[in-house]
Amino acid sequence: MTLTADDFSILLLTLRAAAIATLLILPVGILAAWHLARHRGTGRTLLETLLSLPLVLPPTAVGLLLLEALRKSGPLGRLLDRAGIEILFTWKAVVLATAVMSFPLLVRPARTAFEEIDPRLLAMGRSLGSGPASVFRRVALPLAWRGILGGTLLAFSRALGEFGATIMIAGSIPGRTQTMALAIFQRTQIGQDRAAMRLVGVTVVIAFAAVWTTEVLTRRRAQKAAA
Amino acid sequence: MIELDVALPLPQFRLHVAATLTADTVAVLGPSGSGKTSLLEAIAGLRPKASGRITLGGEVVMDTAAGVFLPPERRRVGYVPQDSCLFPHLDIRGNVRFGMARGARARIFDEAVAILEIAPLLDRFPTTLSGGERQRVALARAIATEPRLLLLDEPLAAVDPLLKGKILPYLLRVRDTLEIPFLYVTHNAGEARAVAREALVLREGAVMFAGAPDEALRSMSLVDPEARFDNILSGLLGKASGIRETGTLVVGEALFAVPAEETARPGAGAVFSVAPEDVLVSTRPLEGISARNVHPGKVISCEASGGTAWIRITAAQLEWTARLTRPAAEELGLAPGREVWIAVKTHAFRRLR
Repeated sequence: MTLTADDFSILLLTLRAAAIATLLILPVGILAAWHLARHRGTGRTLLETLLSLPLVLPPTAVGLLLLEALRKSGPLGRLLDRAGIEILFTWKAVVLATAVMSFPLLVRPARTAFEEIDPRLLAMGRSLGSGPASVFRRVALPLAWRGILGGTLLAFSRALGEFGATIMIAGSIPGRTQTMALAIFQRTQIGQDRAAMRLVGVTVVIAFAAVWTTEVLTRRRAQKAAA
Repeated sequence: MIELDVALPLPQFRLHVAATLTADTVAVLGPSGSGKTSLLEAIAGLRPKASGRITLGGEVVMDTAAGVFLPPERRRVGYVPQDSCLFPHLDIRGNVRFGMARGARARIFDEAVAILEIAPLLDRFPTTLSGGERQRVALARAIATEPRLLLLDEPLAAVDPLLKGKILPYLLRVRDTLEIPFLYVTHNAGEARAVAREALVLREGAVMFAGAPDEALRSMSLVDPEARFDNILSGLLGKASGIRETGTLVVGEALFAVPAEETARPGAGAVFSVAPEDVLVSTRPLEGISARNVHPGKVISCEASGGTAWIRITAAQLEWTARLTRPAAEELGLAPGREVWIAVKTHAFRRLR
């Protein structure tokens, strides 16, 4: 089973969109996870629920909400239109849809990792002369990196396979917005099952590698915590 | 000088400590749960709910009435918590260097490492260290930040009968060579007396006593049932006697027979501990006794606590604590002013460290 030039360009487009989406949500997700781990209260619960919504809503529902927000008459769309930025049905829409859908998958493990840090270590860092930002960088991040990396891989895997939200706001334009998940669907629709299977094979390999790495990392973290 | 007027609500009671501490070394005593650790954390700035006023060497670090609350990183206070709290992701070198300012003198690192004898540990990670080693690393880490005040919280668990991992000898060195003032939380009233020049006794969040450590010691058996009263002798090792197994320790003008050590060099400083259980008291001159250390003395005070009588005695120009059973003390008719003799076996002297 060899990949065609078409398969390759679809793979590349998918990897690129997923990578950009993951890189975009990484700083925001880490900061969100840090603040969720540090602060308690109803505000936190509300924010957490909102951030987790993409996990539980049908992806097409999220896609429709994004579509509504981004259409030219919509609140965000008007601003973007004035700035001359076009998102809907471009590769940027693929990035946006996958970013929104993968965000909670990054935040949850990262938040757990931050919560597992003994707060006294953070207090110790402060007492030794480091300000809050410095303690975050020198104590919290190094102690939580496994959880953050695990979450990043999960989010990346999710981004690779995103379908529902993407098709709502980016469509399935070959060579422009058609990712692997979309191409698999489209190929089966027109009876090219063998061509679809080739892409399925690729996704299995990538997903396997990502989940395997996550498992290994989290297991090592659990062992370390037990020791 | 440390001026404290701190209030802090705790689950069991409200901590309120008002005291002016003038000595450079202060022991903080009191039973478990009396608020000692909370007090240290409030001084370090780690208790956001603390209110009142704290000044360290004239600088106000907290004055909630005036809206002043310096964050911990700006208080320049070196805190050594009970459980050491070393950073698990850093090796010992990284831990000690953590709080050093960028332009810090390189000497302070070497000094801290030398005084606490942690050079062999520098490349190891905290999880591989013993409790005593961790405590020393935590103290070195605090010293390396060049603090104006050290806060040291000694865990009760570290008061092990084998005296392994005792921080006390290192603390004496810090006191005598670096001249950093410190507050030292301990359950060992004997140690407190050896280390500190002032004592603060807490009970249920309030100051029960503030003043000379010798006086604080008198009532400690009643205040803190877990308190220990080790007799700490800090002196110079004398020339080894003809017999190899005993050496001598010179404290002031008094001479004591102590177990000889292969590493001991005459003239070197040494700290020994004698448990109060190991001090025998006699009302008659002792003769024909195997104990090598027999000294006449005088009873200063007697306190009974449960079945135990704590007898304070001056002998050989030192103050001793002897622990007797209550019937034994009563039969001997011990009372302040009474002339007695104390006897301590050579092997009851245990070298710290």
